[in-house]
Amino acid sequence: MKPYVKIALAAVLLFAISGILAALILFNKKHPDTAKAKPDFVISAVVLQKEFEDNEKTASARYINKILEVSGTIASLTPADSNHLNISLKTGSDLSSVICTFTGINDPSKFKPGDVITLRGECSGFLMDVLLNNCATIINHK
Amino acid sequence: MKRLILFLFFLNIILAANAQKFMTKNGYIGFFSHTSMEDIKGDNNQVAGVIDVTTGEMAFQALIKSFHFDRALMEEHFNENYMESDKIPKSIFKGKITNLSSVNFSKNGTYDVTVEGDLTIHDVTNKISTKGTIEVITGGINASSKFNINPEDYKIIIPGVVRDKINKNLEVTVTMKYTPLATK
Repeated sequence: MKPYVKIALAAVLLFAISGILAALILFNKKHPDTAKAKPDFVISAVVLQKEFEDNEKTASARYINKILEVSGTIASLTPADSNHLNISLKTGSDLSSVICTFTGINDPSKFKPGDVITLRGECSGFLMDVLLNNCATIINHK
Repeated sequence: MKRLILFLFFLNIILAANAQKFMTKNGYIGFFSHTSMEDIKGDNNQVAGVIDVTTGEMAFQALIKSFHFDRALMEEHFNENYMESDKIPKSIFKGKITNLSSVNFSKNGTYDVTVEGDLTIHDVTNKISTKGTIEVITGGINASSKFNINPEDYKIIIPGVVRDKINKNLEVTVTMKYTPLATK
């Protein structure tokens, strides 16, 4: 085999291997670890909900898909289906809250209504409440 | 507040109503498809839903970005390639229990129901009819249903390379645990 054929074959092989590796890495990509990730915004639940209520369009452009570190008082805990826990944080409105979904835990005993907590999560947007997903507790002030 | 008023208007709800209306903001909608490569499963635990037990009307709203997948890449593809969730952030169902007389909302128990209505996904609305269960419990109502949808009916374009691997019918599971609206 001529040297340039060997080089070409090696190059093709290398290209193929790196392609497969890149695909595997991408395929197995994890969700961002919100407990460790640097938050894009640090904000209180009261201010966050008010911003969405006052101007959903502006707030959506600013916060959706971003990691938010949110502090607030727990209004209610709802163990959800499929190993999830929803924590609602109080806001200035009685009808609208910040709902934070934790994946992989459904034991609400670590928390109780009235606890002041700081958590991080990815903002999904606004329905009647501001919705955060992939949440992690940063501090439970109690 | 504007959003809330719109939502309530959409559901034809009068806030002064008595406890004939039940709601949840923590409802569950999931979908599942078995493929030769791996199973596709998305979970949304932030579904807002209302049911009026006097008329049998029911409605759900869900944010597409609230669907969670085990694989980050799958979630990314779901949002960006298939559902275009930046442009079309919500899915909505509005319908009615057609055999309301067979449910006794004042007596605890499990009742089989048929629900018909309009399901809007990806800005495309289709009529659907499905069987489900209403469970009347003390202080609330649980509702559940399983039905199949075909992504193509909602103009969700699945690229050729993976189209054959995704089952034409996605199984959708809905589980709602309603509490009286008056106490919210």
